[in-house]
Amino acid sequence: MALLTVKGLTKSFESTQAVNSIGFTIHEGRCVALLGPNGAGKTTAIRMLTGLIAPTSGDIEFHGIGPGADRRSLIGFLPQVPAFYNWMTGREFLIYAGRLCGLSAKEAQTRSSELLERVGIASAAKRRIAGYSGGMKQRLGLAQALIHRPKLLILDEPVSALDPIGRREVMELLRSLKLETTVLFSTHVLHDAEELCDDVLIMRAGRIAVGGSIQDIRSEHRQPILSLEIEQDEHSRKWLQNWLKTPPAYVKTYSALSGGVRLVVDDVNAARRNLLAELVESDVRMTKLEIGHTTLEDLFMKAVTE
Amino acid sequence: MSQWFVLYRKEWLELIRSGKLIWVPVVFILLGASQPIVSYMLPEIIAGAGNMPEGTVIELPTLTASGVMVQTLQQFGTLGLLIIALISMGTVSNERLSGTSAMILVKPVAYSSFVTAKWAAMLTITAISFGLGYGAGWYYTAALFGSVSLLAAAGSSLLFGLWLGFVGTVTILFSTLLRSAAAAAFSALGAAALLSIATTLLPKALAWSPGKLTELAAAQLMSGHASGLWPVVSITIISIIAALALAVWHLRQHPSIEAV
Ligand SMILES: Nc1ncnc2c1ncn2[C@@H]1O[C@H](COP(=O)(O)OP(=O)(O)O)[C@@H](O)[C@H]1O
Ligand SMILES: [Mg+2]
Repeated sequence: MALLTVKGLTKSFESTQAVNSIGFTIHEGRCVALLGPNGAGKTTAIRMLTGLIAPTSGDIEFHGIGPGADRRSLIGFLPQVPAFYNWMTGREFLIYAGRLCGLSAKEAQTRSSELLERVGIASAAKRRIAGYSGGMKQRLGLAQALIHRPKLLILDEPVSALDPIGRREVMELLRSLKLETTVLFSTHVLHDAEELCDDVLIMRAGRIAVGGSIQDIRSEHRQPILSLEIEQDEHSRKWLQNWLKTPPAYVKTYSALSGGVRLVVDDVNAARRNLLAELVESDVRMTKLEIGHTTLEDLFMKAVTE
Repeated sequence: MSQWFVLYRKEWLELIRSGKLIWVPVVFILLGASQPIVSYMLPEIIAGAGNMPEGTVIELPTLTASGVMVQTLQQFGTLGLLIIALISMGTVSNERLSGTSAMILVKPVAYSSFVTAKWAAMLTITAISFGLGYGAGWYYTAALFGSVSLLAAAGSSLLFGLWLGFVGTVTILFSTLLRSAAAAAFSALGAAALLSIATTLLPKALAWSPGKLTELAAAQLMSGHASGLWPVVSITIISIIAALALAVWHLRQHPSIEAV
């Protein structure tokens, strides 16, 4: 079931169009990655979803909330750089957040203890937040976003600022969270998206370049690849150089490999037959010929660079 | 309503943890008590200086008890006002700059509660500090110069307290409109000074101005009666409500600083 539908969402700042007419649907229970390089417009898009900035134009529609209801009560949000009242203790901040979300004093207390345990900062619960490390603040930020059991958890680059160990731990946490609620998180690392998500929205320069379930995208955009490596003798190198000057029609694009070339082709069988014949005919000293497929990374690189 | 109290309680806790709830009343008490004490000792201080030529007679105006109280109010009108502006100047802008307002306002929190809880906390600490400070002034005046009627003192404190609350509210408004806390304090104090001066220069045209509150408070002390009080009080209260409404409206448009 659709939880959230976005249509034609646009945000212009004086000089830049940070988000340019994006549209997508988030279904209940899915984990969605908003993937894109820095400056793609991820944070701006997220801030519009949370209500922190008003869109220049476009619609954001949450399904299944009554008219006049506050959509903020459905959302739990962890900003890219979470900020806290440093004079509070971690536990105090969580209880405060819970009370603001409408929990009773008692509920807020039990929920806070539960979450402090869960995100792994229970031992620091009674210390002032001023003394927390970046990783601890990130966990506390996650806990405060979860305090009222939101239907949609929105996380802006939740692991980007963490060291590898912290990153691993938070990813594990997210893995268990996505079983309980719908998650939208932004990242500029493809690997994070692939590891956790069902759906991905690849953003570039304010637009969604590619969007859909990771499986569908993989199979839709999958293309055969031939990787050829040759010995570095004069003759073989010359041949490859010349051959690449006028590549045959079945080669769609190619990129250099160390000691060879990587060819994206349309018809893998024709390509294999042809290439092998040419290699034999020209007496090229081939060391390796591998047949494979483009990965999500190829697609990501293509989407964000061209 | 319970959410409003949660917000108010947080402001209150912040006043305690930052030590403001101690030092602000202490400064007000010092201000209030020092005026009658210094006035009382002034002749001796001057005589004690001892470098006057023989036979100099210094004519000091004889001070009445209510006159001393009026001077005490003047202290609160300058230094007291400065302190209130200083403690309120960052109340919204600091939260917007640090990002805590964004953390709070993505939760189902009413923007009006966010602002009015801060406003109520400002009123509370102002009332406590000014009440204690003025009480101290009243006590020492009574001990050293003779008593001032409780009714006149209480009446004038309400009028003067309203002026302090008005300037505090304007500071919170500027704290919402501007990024810089210092600029907010500067603007609020500047506005208060302009209003006072304009009211003195154009007493007829600005008979309703909140800037008249200090004058009314003094009149209340001297004569036990302040004429033309209600228009001023009404306009002040309406201005306070309008300032709060404007602050809430602006915050709703720009809950955090990056959201320009
Ligand atoms: N408040 C702002 N004022 C002007 N430009 C902004 C503002 N916020 C973001 N931008 C611009 O919008 C673009 C997208 O930024 P952002 O949404 O932060 O990207 P991301 O989160 O994907 O790195 C950038 O070019 C950025 O400079
Ligand atoms: Mg960002």
